[in-house]
Amino acid sequence: MTQAYPPVLKLTRISRSFGKVKAVNNVSLQIDRGEVIGLTGENGAGKSTLLKILAGIERPDEGTMEINGKVANFRSPNDAFKAGVGVVHQEQSLFTNLSVAENIEQQNQSRMGLERFGFQNWKRINADAAAVLKKIGVNLDPKARVGDLSFVDRQMVEIARAVCVEPGGDGTPLIILDEPTAVLEQAEVEVLEREILKLKKFASVIFVSHRLDEVLRICDRVLVMRHGVLTSDRSTEGVTKDELFKAMVDDAPTVSTHARSSRPIELKPAIEVQGLTMKGKFRDISFAAYPGRITALVGTNGSGRGRIMRALFGAEEFDGGTIEVAGKPVHNWSIRKAVAAGLAYVPAERKVEGMIGGYSGTRNIALVHPGEAARGQILRPGKMAETAQSWFDRLDVNPNNIKQPLDQFSGGNQQKVVLAKWLNSSDLKVLMLDHPLRGLDVGVSQAVNAEIRKACDHGTAVILIPDTIEEALEMADEIIVLRDGQLSARHDLSVASDLAIKEIVAEMV
Amino acid sequence: MRNLSIKNLSGPTGILAALVVLIVLFSLLNPRFASVENLQNVLFQVSVPLIIVVGTSLVIQMGSIDLSVEGVMGAAGMAWILLSPNTRLEGDIGVWAWFVALGLGLVLGLITGAIYAKLKVPSFVVSLGTWYVGLGIAILLYGNALLPSLTSEALARWPTQLTLGLPNCFWLAAVILAAGVFVSHYTKFGRGLMAIGNNEPIARSNGMPVDRYKIAAFAIAGTLCGLAGILATMQLGSGSPDIGFGQLFVVIPAAVIGGTALSGGEGGVIRSAIGVFLLIILNNGLVLAGVDPDYQSGVFGMILLIAVIAVAWPQRGRLKVAK
Ligand SMILES: Nc1ncnc2c1ncn2[C@@H]1O[C@H](COP(=O)(O)OP(=O)(O)OP(=O)(O)O)[C@@H](O)[C@H]1O
Ligand SMILES: [Mg+2]
Repeated sequence: MTQAYPPVLKLTRISRSFGKVKAVNNVSLQIDRGEVIGLTGENGAGKSTLLKILAGIERPDEGTMEINGKVANFRSPNDAFKAGVGVVHQEQSLFTNLSVAENIEQQNQSRMGLERFGFQNWKRINADAAAVLKKIGVNLDPKARVGDLSFVDRQMVEIARAVCVEPGGDGTPLIILDEPTAVLEQAEVEVLEREILKLKKFASVIFVSHRLDEVLRICDRVLVMRHGVLTSDRSTEGVTKDELFKAMVDDAPTVSTHARSSRPIELKPAIEVQGLTMKGKFRDISFAAYPGRITALVGTNGSGRGRIMRALFGAEEFDGGTIEVAGKPVHNWSIRKAVAAGLAYVPAERKVEGMIGGYSGTRNIALVHPGEAARGQILRPGKMAETAQSWFDRLDVNPNNIKQPLDQFSGGNQQKVVLAKWLNSSDLKVLMLDHPLRGLDVGVSQAVNAEIRKACDHGTAVILIPDTIEEALEMADEIIVLRDGQLSARHDLSVASDLAIKEIVAEMV
Repeated sequence: MRNLSIKNLSGPTGILAALVVLIVLFSLLNPRFASVENLQNVLFQVSVPLIIVVGTSLVIQMGSIDLSVEGVMGAAGMAWILLSPNTRLEGDIGVWAWFVALGLGLVLGLITGAIYAKLKVPSFVVSLGTWYVGLGIAILLYGNALLPSLTSEALARWPTQLTLGLPNCFWLAAVILAAGVFVSHYTKFGRGLMAIGNNEPIARSNGMPVDRYKIAAFAIAGTLCGLAGILATMQLGSGSPDIGFGQLFVVIPAAVIGGTALSGGEGGVIRSAIGVFLLIILNNGLVLAGVDPDYQSGVFGMILLIAVIAVAWPQRGRLKVAK
């Protein structure tokens, strides 16, 4: 990098605490023009908090921040935006009822003519949005309603909005992406990676991810945080994953090479579907899940796997076919009946469907299967706390405080609590998990996988929608491949153990 | 794919179709329904709720609700008539009466909005309060005397007089409606209300002046209720604290039937207006169709229920929450 320009971002001894938790502790760093920086670390390490400080959402307790050579003292997200910091948050923050152009416009403060008096100039807004979309090379209709877009397209809108920042003078925009890939599929991740490389031409980028491969592939430099402290700041050249692990955790996890215990197929499936059909979504799906076995549903985003799982759980109506639970066909299937029959479902959009943010961990965990913690309608707070505490310990939830509202936990730690809620059943027949590892760090991923296997060993049938095919191969006994709402292949891994990823991908598309 | 362009001002085709079906049906049941006279009558009846529903829609679009309609109408209507030429033979201040009455509506709206936005009391409860404050003002103005009647022929006749074949009161409503459409589609404020209705925290974090918008929306709604109170008083020819009676139960269902979700962020002024037409025509048609007056309320209520169910039907997904 040429040193003619001041650094795009310079942090000096930045700290931020929440009560006793030092979320960001004495962090100093520097980012130059056109650099793509990877930021990684365990769940709760302080990544999002650091980014929120840059974005003007949280204010640092101590330290100074310089952006494009100017000292920045943000009082609001707007201030950050005007200084040239554009953010794509961990949770999408678009107005789903408005158009693409309007969402991009929200950040664009330039006003001309009548617009200064609060009038909406649709022509200019649409044209400006089209220009921004073109600049980042995204092909989207500015007039499309955001609620009608796919997830990855919405992500593009977020990026378009972030790049509207006006750093002023010859300053460089700083674009921040908090776990943008956590919810994306392989192909979509590639789209995003190409996008980031394009941004590099006119901006500096900070990119948060738990997937180290990804970070090493697209970033110039990688930062690691642990317990709020910046523990490593290195060029991605020549750094190994192991070294990064060491900086992330106190004791590096030994990457488990779990040998699949080929479990015998019991005669009676826990759940079986025959010819399940939902018009326009999926068609003629038949398969069975057996106690003690893991069945993975793989396919691309539009393949219908999520819908199938939701239909099994009674969360969505289907048009044809039968579901049998424990050998008996079900009628008027509903979530209540599914739960009563011992089914559990961990949705992909945990933040929206999986948790009650204002509730403590204790109350969230006791929501579905209070077990010992309730007699009829009467709750037993002591037991509730006990159960919650045991789950917090088992999944290593951080901070280990069962009374704190779930809102105040980091993204990954919220997910652990949602998992605990469903796993907390003494009599789980079928456990369905939609992207259970989404947003979890490596260590926690292993802990969660261990819990899934444990449930399996206790005779639960597991149906899994994995993030990656590798995950399916590592976990599953059977893989069911879906394409365009239809079953395109199935593989019994206890027989065909040398299945190649390429084969499965070919069956998916 | 649905092609939901934001600039697509026309409401959902479903409700327009329902309106057409109703009109055809009532015309068949009683030929007098389609007479020029009756259509003018419908336009006369539709004017007051049309004016109100513009404000109601703006408020509902941001996910709040304004129940104070009838009280504000009563207060503004009484203030207006007592300051205009009336049978009490005093107080006439000419055109200033309009400013006072509209100002009263504005102030009541500002109060609702300010308490709601700044003190964070739910608008449902705040506006119930301002409803009764408005009603109280109307009753005080009424005092112990006889109900005041308009003595100015010109004023009393104005609403029914025809301009280009349509009653003046409807023209007034049409102008307000057009202004409402303009505000909600072509101003930052109008789009801001939709954004707040969709996701208030994001609107705030985008630096939108959320509180100011909220107060402004209620101020507009209050002013329009004031105008509706004046118009209703003119139409009746005399003042009454109860001048707004029954309007709330037209405008809120009308907005919902039009597809303006009570949770905010959806719908629009035009759609709510179509809803008003639907309800008023339904009422008018039932009378003309000779439905026994004893049954009219019940039948009206039932048809209303069917209409709202029909509107909600497509969105009835399992995990969808209605509030
Ligand atoms: N509003 C808040 N109130 C209290 N504690 C908070 C709040 N926000 C964050 N924390 C705490 O600060 C710490 C850092 O959280 P942060 O969200 O920055 O983690 P993260 O690195 O982004 O994790 P993840 O990978 O799970 O998203 C956590 O211990 C979290 O519980
Ligand atoms: Mg985070």
